[in-house]
Amino acid sequence: MTPEKVALTTTSPAPKPRSNGKADNALAAELTRLLGPKKVLSNLSERLNYRYDAIQFGATPLAVVLPESTADVVTAVRAARAAGVPVVGRGAASGLSGGAAPTSPGLVISFTRMTRLDIFPERREARAQAGVVTLAVTEKAKPHGLIYPPDPASFRTSTIGGNLGENAGGPLCFKYGVSGDYVKGLEFVDADGGVHELTRDAYDLAGLLIGSEGTLGLITEATLRLTPPPKYTRTLMASFPEVGACAEAVSAAIAAGAVPGKLEFMDQACTNAVEDFLAIGLPREAGAVLLVDTDGDDLGTVEEERALVEAACLNAGGTVRRAATDSESAALWQARRSVSPALGRIRPQRMNEDIVVPRSALPEVVREIRALGDASGLPLVQFGHIGDGNLHPNILFDPRRESPEAVHDLAHQIALVAIRHGGVLSGEHGIGTMKRAFMRDAVDPVTLGALRDVKRALDPTGTLNPGKILPDEDGTHAHP
Amino acid sequence: MNHEIPVQNIGPQGEVMAHAVDACVHCGFCLPACPTYALLGDEMDSPRGRIVLMKEVLEGELALADAAPHLDRCLGCQACVSACPSGVPYGELITSFRGWSEPHRERSPLDRAKRAAILKILPAPKVFSLAARAGQYTKPLAPLLPAALRAPLDLLPERVPAMQPSPRVTPARGRRIGRVAFLAGCAQQALAPNFNAATLRVLARNGIEVVIPEGQGCCGAAALHTGARDEALRLVRQNLAAFDPDEYDAILSNAAGCGAGLKEYPVVLHGLPDEEQARAFAAKVQDISEFLAGLLRQGDLEPPMPTSRPLTVAYHDACHLAHAQKIRLAPRELLRAIPGVTVAEVPEGDLCCGSAGTYNLEQPALANELGVRKAGNILSTTPDLVVSGNIGCHTQIQSHVRRQGSRVPVMHTVELLDLAYRGEL
Repeated sequence: MTPEKVALTTTSPAPKPRSNGKADNALAAELTRLLGPKKVLSNLSERLNYRYDAIQFGATPLAVVLPESTADVVTAVRAARAAGVPVVGRGAASGLSGGAAPTSPGLVISFTRMTRLDIFPERREARAQAGVVTLAVTEKAKPHGLIYPPDPASFRTSTIGGNLGENAGGPLCFKYGVSGDYVKGLEFVDADGGVHELTRDAYDLAGLLIGSEGTLGLITEATLRLTPPPKYTRTLMASFPEVGACAEAVSAAIAAGAVPGKLEFMDQACTNAVEDFLAIGLPREAGAVLLVDTDGDDLGTVEEERALVEAACLNAGGTVRRAATDSESAALWQARRSVSPALGRIRPQRMNEDIVVPRSALPEVVREIRALGDASGLPLVQFGHIGDGNLHPNILFDPRRESPEAVHDLAHQIALVAIRHGGVLSGEHGIGTMKRAFMRDAVDPVTLGALRDVKRALDPTGTLNPGKILPDEDGTHAHP
Repeated sequence: MNHEIPVQNIGPQGEVMAHAVDACVHCGFCLPACPTYALLGDEMDSPRGRIVLMKEVLEGELALADAAPHLDRCLGCQACVSACPSGVPYGELITSFRGWSEPHRERSPLDRAKRAAILKILPAPKVFSLAARAGQYTKPLAPLLPAALRAPLDLLPERVPAMQPSPRVTPARGRRIGRVAFLAGCAQQALAPNFNAATLRVLARNGIEVVIPEGQGCCGAAALHTGARDEALRLVRQNLAAFDPDEYDAILSNAAGCGAGLKEYPVVLHGLPDEEQARAFAAKVQDISEFLAGLLRQGDLEPPMPTSRPLTVAYHDACHLAHAQKIRLAPRELLRAIPGVTVAEVPEGDLCCGSAGTYNLEQPALANELGVRKAGNILSTTPDLVVSGNIGCHTQIQSHVRRQGSRVPVMHTVELLDLAYRGEL
């Protein structure tokens, strides 16, 4: 997955670098002339750091622009267009599908300096520029008795622009929905450098941009819906000897009428990786751990829902522990948030799936995936927003020990399990480059054609984030 | 991150670096923890970015001179280590990298002279004391001087105290329950001699005999973290010879930076013949707060006297205690053991104060910005007292709270405990 490199065989302890660091391309020079040196990164040491996200390394960009306004974005897009190079938008690059990693050298626009954030408590709205850190919205809204519910695991780092680009979810998505459900309108810059202001009325074009991974336009600002937080929250943790039993408990609890705020699971390998980091006493021996929040404004209902979940867990053979204090439940949720990066302790790289399946199929799906993993001999772990049927099977690997083809094949088999059970390829991380090759299995040719038509209508020259989502038209499966 | 670092050409430190680079999954969880990312907001000045830069230099893809400005801006605070779920040993990486890269650096003669002076003066208490007192008289001229010379003067206290020689052995008072060795420290002896005096008094009162072994020197952290690896190795070995871990229950330091430095010895000597000796030594090293909290938990700490009025104490987590040594609870437990004391948590508590060893002298502008922010955060808790466990933080915080017009006393954890024992709070 990392671009191929040749190991050095010299005996000198200070190898001679292949570059003196300066950009020798006209694009960087032109952008610097238009925007000034502070907004443009052109040295190699700077550009090297804008070629990755949290899953993949891509091509080193020719130049990086750090815009401070929508006008800067327009200037940058027009310059890239004139130079005939691709444009990739980037937030904090914590994405998990390769979405922000360029597939070919071009311009990266990094939104981290566009951080204007206004709260309008009377309208229960926030207006945020693309680079606003997700958590900052809730932090600024809280004094007004409001929160912004979408809470991806990376919410301390990730930006609103990136969240909308990937339509990110988070533990709260079961009851409260994903990022796109909180967008009232947005501003974006198109492939020609035109600026558009969209609402959700008439044609829901805002909906089209959300989750388009920067392939249809660059989101520069958004109007977000805020809500009052629930008055009461109760947390429980259940552990199960086996991952399928955990899924059975979830299906039973929901069928019994519980609507928890959060319903998350992690399997044994996840639990242990996180316990290595946090040491908070997670049950290392359990085959699967379930974390549940029930919440609402009526304490009786909140407690009743927790009792329903508890009964379902016990019935499925689980053991239940209630979080006694707020700090105990905060620690449990931090544990869940840390799963993804903590897996790095097992292997340095991973193929990260993001499938969603019908809840009724959950027990069968998690067991089938577990069996596929065991048969492959590759380290495979599962966790995810199980209440939504959103599973993240991750294949962990070290490219020097495990064959990339075997990893890709296993990922493909897992994708096919999801599709066979009526599921989809992505719940919240996007398709990016990671799942692009499976799109033909998941989407029928007519629909795929319609998606291509939409892309052509908004970005006829293929400038915006090429190589993402849609598989190549000639039928070759591009390996990530 | 998959690396192609030619480990065989770099030696044991190459292994340390390659392991750290491999462990990074570039998830970005470190970004919000990093002080320079908070100030500069770009990827090159974040831990994740710096790991990539070091990897590229080691692999020969990027010129050292091109990466150096970003690597030099790292404070070494290790807040990223606390934030990293993947367990990347970033501290070991940047320290090893600085040691490896320094011989390949091209520095101006002035830069070289400045660094040499810092490394000569800082670890020699007598020279430092002399320089500090000379500096004290130059202080009124500070506004006329260039920034590089102004920075150290700004940090000097208004009055540099006289050196107080410490006794080689301080006997336990009452029944003797233990015997420890103590690292007396360098600059701290000149700037805040009472830290050591209070430490000896508190330990003796609790039945601990304290030995200050002869022949000990600077812990080597300053040299190590500025890339002067040969000098660091010399100091490390000098201390290994001076302290025999078998003779003591613990080897104590009351400066977070020095304690972290001592605990790092096995990494410094990784792959060298004396690695095992360093391991035995490091296993005995404890911060003073860790040791005293141990006594407290065993019920062996003499209860301090109550304060005369309720006191709010803002406790500042030194990076080298909280992040490098993972010590957060112990100092708070000790403070709370004093009846009448309430510990206030400082907003943005995990963000470095900007002192960071020699950072104040090498990156004065960024250090100043962080100092202003830290002092503001501390004062927002309206404390009666400010407490930290590191001389660098102490100097930085004192200088910045004074500049913001506050006269609030700033002291070491052990000084507060000492005052409580004497009924002077």
